[in-house]
Amino acid sequence: MSTQTTLDTQLVVIGAGPGGYTAAFRAADLGLNTMLVERYPSLGGVCLNVGCIPSKALLHATGIADEVSALGELGIWEPSARPQINLDGLRTWKDGVVKRLGGGIQQLAKQRKVTVLTGAARFVSRNELEIVGETTQRLRFKHAVVAAGSSAATIPNLPDDPRIIDSTGALALTDVPKRMLVIGGGIIGLEMATVYHALGSAITVVEMLDSLVPGCDADLVRPLQQRLRKTYEGIYLSTRVREVRPTPEGLEVFFEGDKAPASAVYDKVLVAVGRRPNGHKLNLAAAGVAVNEAGYVPVDRFQRTNIDHIYAVGDITSQPMLAHKAAAEGRVAAEVIAGQRSALDALVIPSVAYTTPEIAWVGLSETAAKSKDMDIRVGKFPFVASGRALTMGNTDGFTKIVIDNATQRIVGAGIVGSHAGELIAELALAIELGADAEDVALTIHPHPSLSESVALAAAVLEGTITDLYLPRRK
Amino acid sequence: MKETIHVPNIGDFEAVDVIEVLVSVGDEIALDTPLLTLESDKAALEVPSTLAGKVVEVLVKVGDQVGEGHAICVVDVAAETASAAPTPDAPAAAPAAAAPTPPPSAPVAAPMPPTPPTLTTGVPVSAPAKPLTRDEAPAGTTAHASPAVRQFARELGVEVALVPPSGPKGRILKEDVQAYVKKRMAQPEAAAGSLGLPAAPSVDFAKFGEVVSRPLSRIRLKSAANLHRNWLLATMVTQFDEADITELEAFRKVQDNLAKQQGRRVSILPFVVKAVAHALRLFPDFNSSLDETGQAQIFKQYINIGVAVDTPNGLVVPVVRGADAKGVLEIADELALLSARAREGKSLLDDFQGGTFTISSLGGIGGTAFTPIVNVPEVAILGVSRAVTKPVFAGDAFVPRLMLPLSLTYDHRVIDGALGARFAAHLSKTLGDMRQLIL
Repeated sequence: MSTQTTLDTQLVVIGAGPGGYTAAFRAADLGLNTMLVERYPSLGGVCLNVGCIPSKALLHATGIADEVSALGELGIWEPSARPQINLDGLRTWKDGVVKRLGGGIQQLAKQRKVTVLTGAARFVSRNELEIVGETTQRLRFKHAVVAAGSSAATIPNLPDDPRIIDSTGALALTDVPKRMLVIGGGIIGLEMATVYHALGSAITVVEMLDSLVPGCDADLVRPLQQRLRKTYEGIYLSTRVREVRPTPEGLEVFFEGDKAPASAVYDKVLVAVGRRPNGHKLNLAAAGVAVNEAGYVPVDRFQRTNIDHIYAVGDITSQPMLAHKAAAEGRVAAEVIAGQRSALDALVIPSVAYTTPEIAWVGLSETAAKSKDMDIRVGKFPFVASGRALTMGNTDGFTKIVIDNATQRIVGAGIVGSHAGELIAELALAIELGADAEDVALTIHPHPSLSESVALAAAVLEGTITDLYLPRRK
Repeated sequence: MKETIHVPNIGDFEAVDVIEVLVSVGDEIALDTPLLTLESDKAALEVPSTLAGKVVEVLVKVGDQVGEGHAICVVDVAAETASAAPTPDAPAAAPAAAAPTPPPSAPVAAPMPPTPPTLTTGVPVSAPAKPLTRDEAPAGTTAHASPAVRQFARELGVEVALVPPSGPKGRILKEDVQAYVKKRMAQPEAAAGSLGLPAAPSVDFAKFGEVVSRPLSRIRLKSAANLHRNWLLATMVTQFDEADITELEAFRKVQDNLAKQQGRRVSILPFVVKAVAHALRLFPDFNSSLDETGQAQIFKQYINIGVAVDTPNGLVVPVVRGADAKGVLEIADELALLSARAREGKSLLDDFQGGTFTISSLGGIGGTAFTPIVNVPEVAILGVSRAVTKPVFAGDAFVPRLMLPLSLTYDHRVIDGALGARFAAHLSKTLGDMRQLIL
């Protein structure tokens, strides 16, 4: 131990995911001497390496194959024209995307003179870290940003079997199982189900709660659920997995719940039951940083933990565990450390499920507003009345806007259908700017476009809609 | 593993006395366990541990002088953590000596000293118990302002919700934040609210005998706040004088006897009101106000005289409007009506508004003089005490005369001392011979 090197830095950021690298780069740009510690050789964290990015690459490629099939069924070309996916080619391309983005982050770090240390960080005191990598190093710091993220959660009593995988295993794309069970009907589970279904797997989804995509309004989930009911082997809600029994033929899974099906054998089981914060993995107690039972590190809106010079951002601090939330928090932490009067005061954080059809929502959901007895109104515009949706051969979906009746301001929105994740950004901006439905309805949107549906949903609320025939007019 | 704990950055001190060593060899210490007490000429401070473990050697003793980097003790940290250090499962118990301070109105600029020592008076604060999801977290604001405007306001330390909006649909613009800051900066310091007045000492009265606590009445609370404000705002001087009302009193008695037959009374007060109204026409400064900027004097072209009335609930001041145009009997009737309404708690809001000058009469009770408080934004008030018969030297002999004591308080920001004396003298002369009023 006496031979170990000891480094000094003004700021150390632990974790090089979207929260961590944003904090490190912003801090460096503000003149702080910054080091970035990452336990994996590649930067970018879960999002870039085993999350958002590779999953979206796979969803894009397999989605094109699905669209080709869909148009084939309309008689535009032979239904057999569906592209045959080359699994190795798909994997290589996906890995290439990941590598390119990771290299980009490495490059950005270099340009900013942010030192990257590879190793697992562990607090030894309030101002010192131990970093265990190829060598063990000590690092003394004045400020720290903990951006150590989260890990895939699991369910109890699962056997140790290579055929049971988590999202990381699913993204590795080693093979295409014939029958696959997805445990967890949330965003991660359904996105991976979408990919493997397009690749040819027969998919079954089992969800403990009574709806898919829990937390999202039921009407937004319905088009997805209807489609999956038609195309998947099974969707079991309010159902738990009691046991998974490995056999040579496959994994025999036993279910429990009122509507539980009989046991069935699957070639692979994907466990996608959420993520757990990594708060207990860094010996934060040695620095006096409070970590709660679930593993979250509580912070204030300046991203400070209970210890003044130690900050935390991203999944490790709170829900929702989303990259764009982490990045926003990373920026705030860096600015506060640099002495700026920054704070996280965003009103809303959008969520997207990149399923087919895509679902996106932001702000107050209709369900939440009703449970709070708020006086709201909802305006909906169906894609079936959108020229653009028709020309894309996909009329599944709608855009809805929730307004507060007292102020007429937009307080929430949800979109289900093609490109919902792109369309939702306009409504996030509308909420941050305090726009009301009238503002959006009076903004000229391009025609024909899916973005028109946003203005038209607002026009429904205003009673000025002409593209639909509704009883309430102004 | 043995580690040494050093004195952290303790400010600009090179050699600070160790007045207490709080650990000894063999002690199990946790993070933040106090190790030493240091005393500089400014403060006593405790140095907390930055490590957890067992103390194997203590390297300082009482009387030593230490500075940053001085070795304090050697700790075996191998036996450390789990038991001694705060466990993650009990965040509330974590000895968070350096607790989160309120929002960084002055965020600590980097670089900051590592492990700031805690003052001995430091209060440990526990960490928030659970993580807030962003939806639960206190949103920055519900004010109608864009993210950029909210950020701008935060940089200036402005609570954006307090900024008056000028944009469409009540939107707060960047310009509004600027205007708000300018306005606040332009406010005279005295008006800026707290004057940093020392608090009254807190005394446990019950210690010395039985006590009863009663809430103040609404009128009392209101007038207390107003009187305190007036006391702080006006620059007050009180001018004393006397009026010889021997003849006026004889005249009043006759009038009062006549009035009695009609079921009314005539006191000396309506005459004083009439005389004051007349004086205010000649001395318009006393019928004026300072505008709120303190840059201009506003002369009111109407004379409305407030008369303080004692009611069971406290003091109220109904107003006789256009007093200069009213006769004494008319004023007497009006006063009777206003006072009756006030005593019965049936006053109209209008009864109290629009006064330009106030008269407070304690003549019915007694006293020789007092110093009334100007009812800001009025600039003067007349106190009237009990008339007494006094020997007055009249050329060659003392003669008994009925003298009415007058106490005129005025706001010296608007009225000079000579003017104050002239007003009082004029009033005295008028009351001495009311025939002056018809000239």
